[in-house]
Amino acid sequence: MDSTENVILSGKKITKRFGGLTALSEVDFDVRRGEIVGLIGPNGSGKTTLFNVISGIYDPENGDLFFGNRKITSMSPHKRACLGIGRTFQIVRPLAGLNLIENVATGVLYGREKKTGAREARERALEILSFTGLSDRASKLPGELILEDRKRLEIARALALHPELLLLDEVFAGLNKTEIGAAIDLTFRIREEYGTTIFMIEHVMKAIMSTCSRIIVLNFGIKLTEGSPDEVANHPEVISAYLGGAYAKC
Amino acid sequence: MNKYYPAALAILIILLAAFPAIGPEVYYLSFMFSVFMYVILASSWNFIGGYAGYLSFGHAAFFGIGAFATAKMATVFQLPPLLTMLASIPAGGIAALIALIVGYPCLKIRGPYFSVVTLCFAFVVDLAVKNIEYLGGAEGLWMKFMDLPEKTARTIMYEAMLLLMVITLAASWFLGRSRFGTGLTAIRSDEEVAETMAVPTAMLKIKAFVLSAFFPGVAGGLFAYYLGYIHADAVFSINISILIVLMAMFGGGGTWLGPIIGAVILTVVNEGLSTFAQAEIARIIYGGLFIVVTIFMPNGIIDFFRKRGG
Repeated sequence: MDSTENVILSGKKITKRFGGLTALSEVDFDVRRGEIVGLIGPNGSGKTTLFNVISGIYDPENGDLFFGNRKITSMSPHKRACLGIGRTFQIVRPLAGLNLIENVATGVLYGREKKTGAREARERALEILSFTGLSDRASKLPGELILEDRKRLEIARALALHPELLLLDEVFAGLNKTEIGAAIDLTFRIREEYGTTIFMIEHVMKAIMSTCSRIIVLNFGIKLTEGSPDEVANHPEVISAYLGGAYAKC
Repeated sequence: MNKYYPAALAILIILLAAFPAIGPEVYYLSFMFSVFMYVILASSWNFIGGYAGYLSFGHAAFFGIGAFATAKMATVFQLPPLLTMLASIPAGGIAALIALIVGYPCLKIRGPYFSVVTLCFAFVVDLAVKNIEYLGGAEGLWMKFMDLPEKTARTIMYEAMLLLMVITLAASWFLGRSRFGTGLTAIRSDEEVAETMAVPTAMLKIKAFVLSAFFPGVAGGLFAYYLGYIHADAVFSINISILIVLMAMFGGGGTWLGPIIGAVILTVVNEGLSTFAQAEIARIIYGGLFIVVTIFMPNGIIDFFRKRGG
């Protein structure tokens, strides 16, 4: 087990309710610096809710959240982003009226690097766009992009903050085989170049198995298990959660 | 952006400043005075309504607060003419302070509450001023005018409003290109995403609103002095609030040039209507125009023609 200094993000007994529905129930988790951690679970298991709690869009009813040594449980989203938590959205949400450079430059201007000059911010934005393979479309509007490129823009927007921790919410969904290969490659490159820790929600098994060193499984808002990809894939309760009890026995 | 653009602007400003020298009729000075005034109102409204996308439907309130604050200061302190004009600056400050008080609670939350609150706020201020004897009540306030020939006095007012317009437009220009402006544009586009991109949305909205109240406050002060007599109906009218929104949206909210073009065109239209039509008819025409603009050119006439032009 790594020492606690290496933990970049940890949640203690996170509980989030929507009216009578408990979306997250006492979820404990840790993400260590430099890891690529997967978050999986059937539809409605609370994955995106957990990301919303981490990025500050939702306040949890109970539990605490730490980023490094700092308690961030009730910190506003923009402060968390400033500290270095970047995120993408499952359904892509670019800043629609702004072109790609402006989209990314916004994050550069307000994020961890705090560039104040417009020209500097544009240059940095262009670097990030070329890193994510979008430099030739830099002055287009997000609406003119195909899905794969919009997903890349989501990542570029998050990288603009120069995040220490990047939350990727299903960036592989809807991509074809070649595109998934490229996205897996991009995921590794982000960790290498930016030194960013990655926490990702994913359904595409190929992507999970080849990128994550550890996987956390949620089901009905409860943490079912966690472990290496192989351990998780063969865990009876995981199989049961995804496919129903009958398959779990073998 | 064309490199001749700043030079062309400078020449235009000099020409406008020199206009009274050719000895135009007082009518034209008054007309230009109101063009400048509406450019100031629409361009400052644009800070919050255009860039941030938070529509204030009660902006006349700040204009009126500036007017009444100036008139009151002038009468209480027995200010001479020049100081009365300068008093419009602290009056703008009072408008900005009130914007802070009104904006703080409703800009911390998202959504359309802000528009509703600003609309109601304008009615409340109007009623309050009409019912407070200290502020002139139903009678209004009189001010001592300059002891100068009418034309000279009008020229001084013309130049003062022109100066305020240049300052407002310079602020608008820098805002549009600044980090602050980028943050506001992100808010208009998707406030939640802006937050996750480290943009302190609540703070920026409040700052933009306070700034957008300041310039109309100062303009209101100059306007009050220009009229020499100020009454609530002259400055708090819902027509003014709607006209401000209409001008900015008609020209193109969230751009520098849009509110200017909108204000110039609609001031001309307004002038024509007030000469040839009754106020009720004018209101119907504004209403109709508002609907047409919202449906057919949601991004304003600049964008409309830019797209038409290919």
